[in-house]
Amino acid sequence: MKNAVSGVGLAPDAAMVTFPIAMFLPGSDITPVRERKQEFYDGLMRWQSKFSQSAGESPMLSVEGASYEEALNRANDLLLAKLWGDGLPLWPATRERVDWMLQGTALPRTHLLGKFPPRGGVTTVETCAIALAMAGGRPEYLPILIAAVEGCLDPSTGFDQLQATSGGPFPVVIVNGPIAKQIRINSGFGLLGPDPQNPAGASIGRALRLLQQNVGGALPGVGTMAIFGAMRYTNAVFAEDEDSLPQGWLPHATERHGYTTGTNSISLVFASGVTNVRRRGAKKESPQEDVQNGLWRMADFMRAPNLAVLAGYEKGTPGIMMISPVVAKMMAELGWTKPKLREFLWENSKIPMDQLKRAGAPAWIEIDSNPITRESIKLDPWPICLKPDNIVLVVAGGAHPTHSYWLQAHSPSVVGRPIRLPETFDRLLAQAQRDLGANRV
Amino acid sequence: MKLEFYDPSGALEVTQPHAPRLSSLERKRIGIVSNEQWQAYRMLPLLKSLLETDFPGTEVLPVDAYPQGNALIGTEETAALVKKSGVDAVIVGNAA
Repeated sequence: MKNAVSGVGLAPDAAMVTFPIAMFLPGSDITPVRERKQEFYDGLMRWQSKFSQSAGESPMLSVEGASYEEALNRANDLLLAKLWGDGLPLWPATRERVDWMLQGTALPRTHLLGKFPPRGGVTTVETCAIALAMAGGRPEYLPILIAAVEGCLDPSTGFDQLQATSGGPFPVVIVNGPIAKQIRINSGFGLLGPDPQNPAGASIGRALRLLQQNVGGALPGVGTMAIFGAMRYTNAVFAEDEDSLPQGWLPHATERHGYTTGTNSISLVFASGVTNVRRRGAKKESPQEDVQNGLWRMADFMRAPNLAVLAGYEKGTPGIMMISPVVAKMMAELGWTKPKLREFLWENSKIPMDQLKRAGAPAWIEIDSNPITRESIKLDPWPICLKPDNIVLVVAGGAHPTHSYWLQAHSPSVVGRPIRLPETFDRLLAQAQRDLGANRV
Repeated sequence: MKLEFYDPSGALEVTQPHAPRLSSLERKRIGIVSNEQWQAYRMLPLLKSLLETDFPGTEVLPVDAYPQGNALIGTEETAALVKKSGVDAVIVGNAA
């Protein structure tokens, strides 16, 4: 609640009376409201804010140790004690390290990107550089982090609610354009990580997560009610395998956002979970049967009363279907295109109304804030999104035919942002080559 | 060995003050803004009756005096309705 209050520009320590969760459940004993009525009365009459506002550039912290090793340990202990860590070792964001990160942008360090909801922490380019420094990043990663933060702060995302909600949706950043290979973002085997050959996605996603927690206030059980948390240490940052797109298949960023092929861009979706789909068949089968059976299995996984899809019913997405390059090639050879695949998956993931009813789903549709979503209750079978184009389809993953991957979404929108590079970007890439060795991609 | 590093939490900017507190709760008019969740339909009416019992002459508007639900309570339209109703204070609930 403090986040919600500070997020609208009020001092965060608003007058509140808090109770254990049990009182908020159906059939609960609400006599504690009567017993603690004086706290409500005091809130209306006597409460005063004790918040003092800080201003200017980010304040500095300091630790001391007999050696660098000891100081580093103490810095990590302090970051955890202040609830700014994630349980993994952090690089303290020293002036030197942050200045190094800032080489990745031509924007001024004080350039305001917005306020990170729900807490409303002021988010500048410097704030991003601090998070990236802590996450073990490099300056050439900063342009993608800035674009991802801009995407998160787009009003269409409803990010304040996504940050706080119990479903725990997490950002998925799909990168298109040559920058993916240049800075070592994975599009192939193990693209959701970890991968020491392609370390960029982990650092960028971890920095975004640190911003969500430290600046946005999404601290588990306090600022975010994400019940399970969904393995969000690094969120998900990967690239589409554009080199493997079959002839005539367009990159995701071109289809969804209209960016010219070759444009460096990010596309932001919020996922609430992932499902591996064993797509490949066994025993004797024709290429047609392999593709068709696999598609049915994907649609079967999508045909679930996952009510998180309601958030993106009209303008967002029910999820991201990842198809490996080998499978995309097989499909294309049989005449499938991305639009045809989306049409098939949309048509065959519709849920019969009787199944929705037995799961109690219509009540959620009826109370949805979007009239178009509410209207959809008249459809039987019920499509999981307004139209096929809402489904995000990307060619990515290892060159292997067995599986597809479905990232189910809780995503009111799919936001695209171009990535802005500094003029010195080539120098940063050359330095990365020296530091990390030859790029294996 | 001293290690200096940035506070990563980002500044908070207070752009508007909280409403002034009341000197007493007697003979006041109080509004309730409800998101209609987390047993608000039971707790907020209980709070209304407690206030009206403990502070004679105080009127607490019914929970449905303003639009309810998360999608509506934060809107400018609801804020205008609250202002128009001429209440001295507002209680907002429930969050979990």
